[in-house]
Amino acid sequence: MVKLTINGRKIQAEEGTTILYAARDNNIFIPTLCENEAVSPYGACRLCLVQIKTARGRERLVTSCIYLVEEGLTVETNTERIRKIRGVLLELLLARCPDSEVIQEMAAKEGITITRFYKRKGNNKCILCANCARTCEEVVGVSAISLANRGVDRELTTPFGDDFSEACIGCGSCAYSCPTGAITLIDRGSKRTIKWPHNRMEFKLQKCSVCGNYWAPEKQIAYIAKTSGTKLSEYVACPDCRD
Amino acid sequence: MEKYAVYVPRLVKKRENFAPGHRACIGCGEALAVRLAFKALDNNVIVANATGCMEIVASQIPNSSWHLPWIHTLFENAAAVASGIEAAYKAMRRKGMDVPNNVKVVAIGGDGATSDIGLQAISGALERGHDFTYICFDNEAYMNTGIQRSSATPFGAVTTTSPAGKKSFGQFTWKKNMPEIAAAHNIPYVATACHSYPFDLMEKVKKAVNTPGPAYVHVLSVCPTGWRSATDTVIRLGRLAVETGIFPLYEVENGQYKMSIDLPKLKPIQSYLKGQGRFRHLSDDLIAQIQERVKLEYEKLLGKAKNGNKRTKRNR
Ligand SMILES: Cc1ncc(C[n+]2csc(CCOP(=O)(O)OP(=O)(O)O)c2C)c(N)n1
Ligand code: SF4
Ligand code: SF4
Ligand code: FES
Ligand SMILES: [Mg+2]
Repeated sequence: MVKLTINGRKIQAEEGTTILYAARDNNIFIPTLCENEAVSPYGACRLCLVQIKTARGRERLVTSCIYLVEEGLTVETNTERIRKIRGVLLELLLARCPDSEVIQEMAAKEGITITRFYKRKGNNKCILCANCARTCEEVVGVSAISLANRGVDRELTTPFGDDFSEACIGCGSCAYSCPTGAITLIDRGSKRTIKWPHNRMEFKLQKCSVCGNYWAPEKQIAYIAKTSGTKLSEYVACPDCRD
Repeated sequence: MEKYAVYVPRLVKKRENFAPGHRACIGCGEALAVRLAFKALDNNVIVANATGCMEIVASQIPNSSWHLPWIHTLFENAAAVASGIEAAYKAMRRKGMDVPNNVKVVAIGGDGATSDIGLQAISGALERGHDFTYICFDNEAYMNTGIQRSSATPFGAVTTTSPAGKKSFGQFTWKKNMPEIAAAHNIPYVATACHSYPFDLMEKVKKAVNTPGPAYVHVLSVCPTGWRSATDTVIRLGRLAVETGIFPLYEVENGQYKMSIDLPKLKPIQSYLKGQGRFRHLSDDLIAQIQERVKLEYEKLLGKAKNGNKRTKRNR
C-alpha cells in the first residue's frame, strides 16, 4: 500500500492505482469526461486536473486519471488555481461543443454558462476523447473507427471518412461509451442506424424466428458466432426465446 | 438501451455499492435490482431505506452490504426521512457550512412501504419538490413478513392474506398503478424498470438521480419465494412481465410519455403466469380477464406515449 494525502486527508491506496481512483475510493470527487475504467487511460479531456507535490517537494499540475499514486504524495483537487484552469477548459469545451448538454451541465456546476471563445458551428458534440475508438478496439476488438489527422483537422472517423466501415459490426458500444452523446444509435423496424460525428452507417437487424422481434445486427451475430466458435444456426432465436 | 447489451456488461463500472454476502433468498430479484440501481450511481449518495426485505437482509449487525451512508427508516417514512436529509443539506449550505455540493438523496422501499403505508409521505415529498429520488422495489407483496397482500399485488395472485379456495381466487383487486400516481404529481421524472433489463434500469436510475427535483422509479422485482416460482426463472419472468405487457417499461419526462422498448407484438399472458405458483389456480376465465385488462392498460399507455411524441414534434 502507498500512503498519500488528498485534500488534507491521509489515505492509503493500492500501488499502481491512479490518483483519480484513489480519490474516488475515498469519496473525493474529481470531475472527468474521458475516463472509463473498461479501457486504457488516455488523458484527453484534462478535466481531472489536480495539483500535486511529490515527496521530494516538486509541485505541478497533472491529470489524475493517468498519474499513479506515490508514497508521500500530497494532492489538492479543488484549489483556486485548479478551478481557474478547469474553468478555461470548460469554456473551451463549450465553444467546441455548444450543443452538448453534458458539457453545459458540467460547466454550469462550476458556475460557467458562457464562453468567451468562438463557438463552433454545426451540431457536433465530439470532444476527441477517443472513448469510442478505445472501446471499439479494446472491448469489442474490431477497430472500426478511429481518430484521424492532426491539429484542428483531427476528427473521429470511419476509414477514409466513408459512410461505411467494413469492420464495424453495429454493436453500438461506441455510442454507449461516448461521454457527450456525440454518437447515436436508432433501431427502427429491421434497420439500425449509427451516427458518428461525421459519418453514418446502416445495419440490417436479424428477426427472431420465434417472437419476430428484431434483436441484433446480422453482422454482430456473425462476429459473435465467429469469435465464440459457435454455429450461426444457434442464433435464429433471440435470447428471450432461446432455451 | 437494452439493444447495446452485448459488450456493455464490460463497459459498466466494476465497483459495487451494495456488496454480496447479504441474506436474501436464492435468486432474489429485489436484491439484484438494488445492486444494479446503486451500481449506476457514484458514492455521493445517502440512502433512506424503509423496512422490508432489503433492509433486513443487508444490515445484520455488525455487518452491512452498504458501501454508502444508509439510514434504516420506519416502514412508512422513507420519503419523509429523505426530505429531511435534503432539507438539512440545503440549510447547512445556506448557513455557509463546508458541505459537499453534490450529495444525492435516494429513498427506497418495497411495494408495501410505497403503495400502502408510505404513500402519504411520498406524496408529500413529491409535492414539496424535494431534490431526491424515490425507488420502489416492487415484489408485489409484503415478503419480509411472510407474503401478505399489498395494493400492488396483482389480480388473481395468492398470498397468505389473499388465499385461493372455494370462496376466493386470490387477490380480487387490480394492482395499484403507483407510477401513474407519482406522475400525477407532475414531477420531472418517472420511470418503470426491471432487473431483467439491467442497462435500462441503470440508465433510468442515473437519470432520475441527476434530475433536479423529485424523481420516481418503479422497479418490478421478481421474488421466487413469494411468487412460488423456480429460482432460476427470475430473469426470464422479468422479461416475460415486460414482453406480455403486464409490466410495461416507460418513462415520463416532464409529462412526456416514452415507451422504453418497441414491442411489435405482446406475448400471451399465460407465458408469464404459468411459471408462478401464485397463479397456479387460475381458471381460463380469470386468465382471459387478466389478458383483456393487460391489453386495455397497455393500449392506454401506448396512446399517451404516441400523443407525447406528436407534441414534441410540433414543439420543435
Ligand atoms: C408500522 C409497521 N407495520 C408493520 C411492520 C412490519 N413490517 C416490516 S416489513 C413489512 C413488509 C414489507 O413489505 P414491502 O414493503 O413490500 O417490502 P418487501 O419485504 O416485500 O421487500 C412489514 C409488514 C413495521 N415494521 N412497521
Ligand atoms: S465520438 Fe464521443 S467517444 Fe468518440 S471521440 Fe468523440 S466525444 Fe469521444
Ligand atoms: S422474500 Fe423475495 S424479495 Fe425478499 S429476500 Fe427473498 S426473494 Fe428477495
Ligand atoms: S478524465 Fe482525465 S483527462 Fe479526461
Ligand atoms: Mg414487497
